[in-house]
Amino acid sequence: MTTATTTEAEAATTSSPGAEAPGTVVIDAVTKHYGDSTAVDRLSLTIEAGEFISLLGPSGCGKTTTLRMIAGFEEPDDGDIRVSGRSVLGVPPYRRDVNTVFQAYALFPHMSVAENVAYGLQQKRTPKAEIHDRVVDALDLAQMRRFADRKPTQLSGGQQQRVALARALVNRPSVLLLDEPLGALDRQLREEMQLELKLLQSRLGVTFVFVTHDQGEALSMSDRIAIMRSGRIEQLADADTVYARPASAYVAAFVGQQNFFSGTVVEGGTAVDSTHALVRGTSAGLPAGGTGLAAVRPEFVSIEADVAADASGAANTARGSLIGVSHLGETMQYLVRLGDDQSLIARRPSPEAPQLSVGDAVVCSWRAESVLLFPADDAASASGYVAPPTV
Amino acid sequence: MRKRLPGFLLAAPAWAWLAVFFVAPVGMVVWFSFGYKPSIFATQATDRLSFDRYAEVFSPTFFATFQNTLWVGVVGTVLCFLIGLPVAYWMAVKAPPSRRGLLVALVMVPFWTNFLVRTLGWQVILSPDGWLSTALQGIGFEPLAILNTRGAVLLGVVYNYLPLMILPLFVAFDRVNGPLREASKDLGAGKWTTFFRITLPLAQPGIIAGVLLVFIPLMGDYITATVLGGAKGNMVGQLVASQFQTAQNWALGSAMAVVLIIVILATVAVGAAIVWLVTLPIRASHRLVIGAPATAPASASIHEEVAA
Ligand SMILES: Nc1ncnc2c1ncn2[C@@H]1O[C@H](COP(=O)(O)OP(=O)(O)O)[C@@H](O)[C@H]1O
Ligand SMILES: [Mg+2]
Repeated sequence: MTTATTTEAEAATTSSPGAEAPGTVVIDAVTKHYGDSTAVDRLSLTIEAGEFISLLGPSGCGKTTTLRMIAGFEEPDDGDIRVSGRSVLGVPPYRRDVNTVFQAYALFPHMSVAENVAYGLQQKRTPKAEIHDRVVDALDLAQMRRFADRKPTQLSGGQQQRVALARALVNRPSVLLLDEPLGALDRQLREEMQLELKLLQSRLGVTFVFVTHDQGEALSMSDRIAIMRSGRIEQLADADTVYARPASAYVAAFVGQQNFFSGTVVEGGTAVDSTHALVRGTSAGLPAGGTGLAAVRPEFVSIEADVAADASGAANTARGSLIGVSHLGETMQYLVRLGDDQSLIARRPSPEAPQLSVGDAVVCSWRAESVLLFPADDAASASGYVAPPTV
Repeated sequence: MRKRLPGFLLAAPAWAWLAVFFVAPVGMVVWFSFGYKPSIFATQATDRLSFDRYAEVFSPTFFATFQNTLWVGVVGTVLCFLIGLPVAYWMAVKAPPSRRGLLVALVMVPFWTNFLVRTLGWQVILSPDGWLSTALQGIGFEPLAILNTRGAVLLGVVYNYLPLMILPLFVAFDRVNGPLREASKDLGAGKWTTFFRITLPLAQPGIIAGVLLVFIPLMGDYITATVLGGAKGNMVGQLVASQFQTAQNWALGSAMAVVLIIVILATVAVGAAIVWLVTLPIRASHRLVIGAPATAPASASIHEEVAA
């Protein structure tokens, strides 16, 4: 008994290897400065083995820096990074059990596709016959076998992307890092590759750390999404949670689209009284009297012609004039001007979309259940701020 | 082929320049080399053509001079390469990007003064009663005895030609971008492997440019060797110049020049062949040819249909 306790205590005081399965990445209070600016700010994140996690955030929020610290191209100024239970501080990139798919692919232009894929295995002094077989397998996996003997310059962007993937995966890393790998592809190819990457990841069981600024990409592929802001993680959750219960106005604005109303918090913290509407939610989350933000997604807003003569201000309704109608395929989108400083977007499924034309007086309404309330926030404080439409 | 035509036409001024200032003079030199010197007042005549001037060229003194020239040319180029390579690599890869413009400007500083003047400057520095020698004697050394040795010649060669090696190498290393080196390390290669398998092969055009830019003018240069090497600095360029200017024998001078050109071309070819042969087994060991699959995987063919 006593000996067992001692061993346990010892194991706990050392970094307790074995507690974290192969493929686990633990980022522990990591900070990285560039000169005066802080790229990553006491960021902590535990990535489970075999998980597909996305780092999502606008350009400059520190996603690439975080990834480069896991890969070993940058060293943290403070904090610890563990891969498969072992600290990688001071370990050069070529000794880490991690491979990267680079943003611009970074294929070696003087080597053929097959030689690119073989490069990593050659570094590990793998026997030639085994290299050949594993390269062929990896190229089959990426559906690039036919192009094995071509040079990268003779391939399209999507094909280069597949080679970069094969070149990383052939080494059987326990963690694969991908830095906006689909950013350079056209939309159709990008959506195809999203699906393929997800299938590949679940088949291989490799931990994927996927960096993107495209929320649609993150939502469609990830087990969990870490939404980053100024070098920190604002929310870490699965796609449903991030979409339905964003932790802050920043997250709400970044994931999907939102109509924001800024105003005084009233009714005991359950509503925000803005210039153009009294927006009422279902829960009391805000201190009354201060300023707050209410958010409603366009798909929860219904719209109809304004026939009622009285302009009484019922809660969760807003009146304005229609300034734009656009057909998005499955949905119709209406842009409504509420006042000089605020507009509102409503989206209805095409079959049940009302016939309205530009210039009509309209009334928009939504249910209290679809209202999210947040404290005032710099990032989304301008009233009427709407996140850019997703493409 | 059709695509090449506009490029060819765009290059027309360059071809014209090459024809007027390179092909024509070299052609004339070749033509003169088959002629003779008819009298003490004429420089050359070509009414009778023969190989006699070439027979004249291959005298024992000429052989010794040629050997010396080749030695200075090859050793000087190799030295410039060995010194220029790390300097250019450091400038392009290690030095902070904000300083690179300044470093390039510093490399060019010697070009702000005349070639002869800066070589004479070294003569002053290296002479046994120069300030360097005096200073060294002050701290107990023998007087400097480096002037008029091959060492002094090589010093001058490195000094005069190093920038011509560094600049193309710098441009070449600068073009091998960071992500490629990072990808190499990501795939398990250390810094030496990354250098020899990624950086160096991709810098090959710059290496070729640097070597040729140093070797070819160096083979014709005799100022550096004469000023710093004295009597030991006999170079073919000197013999050619004296035939044209002093002896007024353009036919013999032309024959010497033609032999010099042939030797330069042959040396470059031999050098390239040696490098090719030495690296052959290394390159072969990295080669991997897969060949077309016997039957295309089902998924790939489906993919193709979707794309089509
Ligand atoms: N090498 C560098 N030198 C100086 N600043 C840098 C460097 N790399 C990144 N930064 C800064 O760090 C911040 C985070 O950058 P990055 O991680 O690339 O963001 P993201 O990938 O999310 O767009 C940015 O403000 C950027 O300007
Ligand atoms: Mg980035």
